Amino acid sequence: MDLAQAIAQPSVDWHALSPDIVLAAAACMVLIADLFLPEESKWLAMPLSAAGILGTLAAVVSLAGEHRTTLGGAVEIDTFALVFKGLFCVIGLIVLAMSFGYFRSGRYYQGEYYFLMLCSLLGGVVISSARELVTLFIALELISIPAIIMTALRKADVKSNEAALKFFLFSVLSTAVMLYGMSLVYGITGSTKLDEIRSSIASSADEPLVVLSVIFVVIGFAFKISAVPFHFWAPDTYEGAPSPVAAFLSTASKIGGFVGLLVLMFRAFPEVADTWRPAFAVLATLTMTVGNLIALRQQHIIRLLAYSGIAQSGYVLVTLALIDPSRPEANAQALESAIVYLVIYGIMDLGAFAAAVAFARKTGTYFLSDYAGLWRRSPVLATLMAGFLLSLAGTPPMAGAWAKLFVFAAAINSEVYWLAAVMGVNAVIAAWYYLAVVKRMFLDSPEVDEPIEVPYLLRATMGVAAFALLAVFIYPAFITSLADRSLL
Amino acid sequence: MPDSGVFEYLAAGLRGAVSRTNALPNCAFCVLVFGLSATLSYPRGSPRSCSHIATSGAVPAVPRDYFSQYITIGIFVLVGLGLVGVTLQLARLVRPNVPTREKYTTYESGIDPIGRGWTQTNVRYYIFALLFVIFDVEAVFLFPWAIVFERLGTQAFIEMLIFIAILAFALLYAIRKKMLEWL
Amino acid sequence: MSAETWQQVVFWIFALLITGAGVLVVTTRNVIHAALWLVGALMGAAAMYVLLFAEFVAWVQVLVYVGAIVVLMLFGLMLTRAPIGSAEFDNNQRPLAALCAAAVFVVTSVILIGAFEGQEINFARTAGTSTESIGTAIFSSYVWPFEVVSILLLAALVGAVVIARRD
Repeated sequence: MDLAQAIAQPSVDWHALSPDIVLAAAACMVLIADLFLPEESKWLAMPLSAAGILGTLAAVVSLAGEHRTTLGGAVEIDTFALVFKGLFCVIGLIVLAMSFGYFRSGRYYQGEYYFLMLCSLLGGVVISSARELVTLFIALELISIPAIIMTALRKADVKSNEAALKFFLFSVLSTAVMLYGMSLVYGITGSTKLDEIRSSIASSADEPLVVLSVIFVVIGFAFKISAVPFHFWAPDTYEGAPSPVAAFLSTASKIGGFVGLLVLMFRAFPEVADTWRPAFAVLATLTMTVGNLIALRQQHIIRLLAYSGIAQSGYVLVTLALIDPSRPEANAQALESAIVYLVIYGIMDLGAFAAAVAFARKTGTYFLSDYAGLWRRSPVLATLMAGFLLSLAGTPPMAGAWAKLFVFAAAINSEVYWLAAVMGVNAVIAAWYYLAVVKRMFLDSPEVDEPIEVPYLLRATMGVAAFALLAVFIYPAFITSLADRSLL
Repeated sequence: MPDSGVFEYLAAGLRGAVSRTNALPNCAFCVLVFGLSATLSYPRGSPRSCSHIATSGAVPAVPRDYFSQYITIGIFVLVGLGLVGVTLQLARLVRPNVPTREKYTTYESGIDPIGRGWTQTNVRYYIFALLFVIFDVEAVFLFPWAIVFERLGTQAFIEMLIFIAILAFALLYAIRKKMLEWL
Repeated sequence: MSAETWQQVVFWIFALLITGAGVLVVTTRNVIHAALWLVGALMGAAAMYVLLFAEFVAWVQVLVYVGAIVVLMLFGLMLTRAPIGSAEFDNNQRPLAALCAAAVFVVTSVILIGAFEGQEINFARTAGTSTESIGTAIFSSYVWPFEVVSILLLAALVGAVVIARRD
């Protein structure tokens, strides 16, 4: 870049950066407010965080339809970025609703928790519009590091400590591997900007060094999105973490990893796709199959959701195995289906976690056997939970059906039939364990008849989420039109 | 004796070093010798100009005296290490050797050591170390900032201000949480 | 001997230092010794940066890694259950780990040598590593990650306080 030019131009487009800046300011405000609030009103950090996220959402909406690049191309605001920024905001709001009761009741450092959650969310918001390696990497770290601390918040609980330690070690290892890969990419191309990497890497597709560096980067991301065989940390971490944090990890943190992966694979490395596409096909197959098979045997709702979440990542990985720049249409369809899948997955997975949290708040248990006869104890909770599980299973009338169908169609269109077949088999296996829970809730008789009251805030949030999933099922154009316009 | 000249200093320092009676000239002598040698060994090339950066690639960026600077540092390191060895050996030659049991205990400011060498330290030290790391990183960013500050002007100033302000929250947090007080 | 030859000699001295210290970091049974050997490896890396005309990076390495990170590690070790010298937390996976490390080493070095063999660094282009150009890069093209780093550091400190506090 010409230096004199860079200095002369007022290069910062503040409007394009406004969502990130609003969220960062909100995080700092929550921290400061917490320092000066008396103990009994510390819970105010939660509405303050919600206001900050709503402000961010407003900034995102104000940018709708824009296409801007700023800071020399390091940040790019397009529909892709805005969709994910918005998704992170929605995830943040739902997790806030889940956390409120949980963190208010215990001595859990409420203010710090909300601050850390906003920081982690900021990482997601930043990564959505990052089109440059350094920003991408820092944003990814900003997602993970506060999340590790959030995992460790139940300090007196050995399981929480174990969870945080496992998460920390795997996160650090994956970061090191990824960073090494990124440094090699920089060494080959001499640039950190994704577009420049793309053009200068195109000629060296067969070089082993390119393959090595891309594989390192992919392995790093595979840890973050808990793809098999890099998934070991996920179930233990989710189980030990405070359950709203587990929900956050399973959605925001995972989707953040996927956003980074999508941006890199569609934007920086598509020209060398031939070298890494088989790796994604293998990863996707393993992730779907192993995740689903282990999920079959789970007796703990959080572990079930953890393994099912692993399997769900597998479906998104399928889309990455379809990237082919020589066929723009199939390529675009792969990206579109990935976006649709991630958005719907974020909402339905959070919904299932929220239902588990609501159930555990009253009964104190996470074991599936205690879900028997939930229908008689709380029809609302049972219905909502069933809705989210059906959506995760990919059965109508919930939006999850479209998510799976789009990925399936993308695989068919790219003529990767075997991957589509693997997906189909896995959808059947997955339906088995989701529907088993639904059956248990509706058909089995409860051991205790005590009714379960769901907190108002949680009930409203779950209701809205379930309604949104239902609405998207009926009118999928709402989300496909957004995904249509978000091309990388 | 600021106006009595360098040689007066040197002479006084030498006298002190020889007589070993006066600590102050002794120290002054050491400082002087160190300073003098540092000045003498400082590379005499023209001061590093920064103009070559803007025309990246046209002029070799590496100054000719680049390695000689580090050779100087290397010599200092070797001399420093050698000094330790030489003085210890010298002391060994002149000192009397009368070992007693007390002399072989670990020196802890005159207090008898109790227990094992490893004890668990207070967790609060960790916060200090971490605060140090964070502000160390901040300080590291100040160096390139200081160099480009003049050229980038207000832009760089505001950028650094934001950076420091956000890190100041860390300090404020530590203060409010009473992490900096020793209870 | 010419300057290039000296450069080579110094390179090999520090390369041996880094390798030896690195091996000792992972083989020594005393974690404190491991942390101290790490100082050697990190200092050697700093010397490498100096040889590559990346002075600023070299001194950052010394200031941050040797000066701060290793100190933090030592503090962290001193917080753990004493005595630290024993190997009771060791496990029997050392051979496996050695095998993995060796495999990664062989693969990466074969590929790296294959990719860069015979190429020489053009030091006329190393303006890119001078402190001034680093400053220009940070404060104009990379200002966004730079500001995000401050939030990251803030979150790390808050998190450390939360975890380290006794309540």
